[in-house]
Amino acid sequence: MSDTPIMRLAKATPPGIGRRVGGLSDRAIAWIFVAPSIALLLAVNIFPLIWTIRLSFTNFRVNRPNRDVEWIGLENYRDILTDSDTWLSTQATAHFLFWTIALQVLIGFTMAYLINKKFRGNDMWTTIIVFPMMLSPAVVGNFWTFLYQPQIGLFNYVVGFLTGADPSSFSMIGDVALAPWAIIIVDTWMWTPFVMLICLAGLRSIPDSIYEAAECDRASKWRQFWTITIPMILPFLMLAVLFRGIENFKMFDLVVQLTGGGPGSTTEVTSINLKREAFERWRTGYASAYAVILFVTVFGLASIYVKALNKVKDR
Amino acid sequence: MAEVELRNVTRAFGEDVALDQVSMTVPDGAFVVLLGPTGAGKTTTLRMVSGLDLPDQGEVFIGGRPMVGLTPAQRNVAMVFQQYSLYPHMTVRENLAFPLKSPLLRTPPDIVNAKVMEVAETLQIAHKLDNKATALSGGEMQRVSIGRALVRNPEVFLMDEPLSSLDAKLRAELRIELKSIQADSGATLLYVTHDQIEAMTMATHVGVLDDGKLIQFGPPREIYENPVSIYAASRLGQPKINVLPADLFGHAPDRAVNIGLRPEQIRQGEGADSMVTRVEHLGDQTRLHLSFSNHDLVTVTDAHTTLKSGDIVKIRPENPFFFDASGARIH
Repeated sequence: MSDTPIMRLAKATPPGIGRRVGGLSDRAIAWIFVAPSIALLLAVNIFPLIWTIRLSFTNFRVNRPNRDVEWIGLENYRDILTDSDTWLSTQATAHFLFWTIALQVLIGFTMAYLINKKFRGNDMWTTIIVFPMMLSPAVVGNFWTFLYQPQIGLFNYVVGFLTGADPSSFSMIGDVALAPWAIIIVDTWMWTPFVMLICLAGLRSIPDSIYEAAECDRASKWRQFWTITIPMILPFLMLAVLFRGIENFKMFDLVVQLTGGGPGSTTEVTSINLKREAFERWRTGYASAYAVILFVTVFGLASIYVKALNKVKDR
Repeated sequence: MAEVELRNVTRAFGEDVALDQVSMTVPDGAFVVLLGPTGAGKTTTLRMVSGLDLPDQGEVFIGGRPMVGLTPAQRNVAMVFQQYSLYPHMTVRENLAFPLKSPLLRTPPDIVNAKVMEVAETLQIAHKLDNKATALSGGEMQRVSIGRALVRNPEVFLMDEPLSSLDAKLRAELRIELKSIQADSGATLLYVTHDQIEAMTMATHVGVLDDGKLIQFGPPREIYENPVSIYAASRLGQPKINVLPADLFGHAPDRAVNIGLRPEQIRQGEGADSMVTRVEHLGDQTRLHLSFSNHDLVTVTDAHTTLKSGDIVKIRPENPFFFDASGARIH
């Protein structure tokens, strides 16, 4: 009984391997491994955040370092929330967010759905479609200003060719009504492939056998799409919306390259507004308060959203 | 409720021939079990009938109608998949109701509910109806998958190893349940399994497949008592048929290379000596492992036997099967 191979093996194993190494407990070793990351996080994330919050209650100006800093309480916050410019830029951001997300999800999902069909060379097409995403936003912004050029721009030429309008009769960047759309088009051009990739991952995660079961259960393609494809891909769609939403809330590079916030302040999204306050008017305290407000807004919206996302996933 | 006919059905996946000129006629209301090892073409046969896969050559008929160009939906078949294929984002109830909610049928909601309830009770999953399909054990998923087929009234049921992941007790219960559901509804059922007990107990017909070819098709009794080859003979019978050199017991017919002996074809107490190497008491029967001129064989003896290892038992073949070099039966 006590001399089976298993018993012999059990006896040969020393008790409590690795409880202590070099006088350190497992827990101490774990802390040593985690400490560098924590230190780095504290230095580059947590400390600046706390510092920003502190500055937001002052009238500090970074271009006047010698001036006495006054503690002014919530004055910055009050000023920001009652400033009409703030609300204009919030509106511009909301408009921009809504349309970019709507277009990118719609087009991205459609493209993923089409490219998921088995056809020759679909891998190659996927790679080609993903190109815009790989470019630097500065480069993209720059060459789209050429495309939008009324006299020689390809975009204007194509629109003119399709609609019969004179290509030089409109300026995407210079026109108050068109400028927001100029940015929406470029952002959609650049980031739809990203949404497509996420949707493609979602579509590929649905096994063929589920569609086969539905086929036998006499569900039409239409019904399969609405009762299987859409519910099963919904968490992926929501994830894409989350990524694009957070990214576009702080949209900066493309706007600077294309319109610089103009004409007037029609494309002055919040991040541009913030940059003006911080680095043109040098109101550091005011800008800090602005940043805190934006941070809380994004953080709050994202948490609500992530909760909804998890609910959908668990369904 | 229809006759199913396969006529010279061939299907290859690249170099790999999954089905090779398979022809069979499944009578209306038959319970057909397809037997064979992995890769024999059992699942492919089901997929041909369901329309999920199409033959390269040959034709499939259901109820006398050619199935060329018809989708699985148009063929009115219900299939139970080996990998369950439940709709993971739906509850058990929604999974079971899914086939009934086809816009083609327009089934009123209270009838859907009653039907779902009835099937859930039969399969002992009524208490799990509001669980998510992914929050079930393998056996429960398999039962939901069977249930999804049973809620409907299709012309043909197709089941791919539907009982494989159930425990022994539930499997025995559902075997009886499935058999009686099939008998009551008069539906035609094609059933794939590895399990010969399922084949013997449920089937009206057994199809033995080997490497894409249909070796033998007939009632299980006939295949057991009159196999066409060593391969077909080995599919049924517990313990398995003993295959030995043909001349081991003396005279053999011309061309015979092997002799096949089922336990009941081994007469004990007469003939030549063999030595008992092992005795397995199974309760209702006892298995004897014998050594006969350096060949091992297994037979069955009285449950209360006093034989033990080392004892000598006289044995002699009685109406044995003889097989030629290719494994085919010699009559």
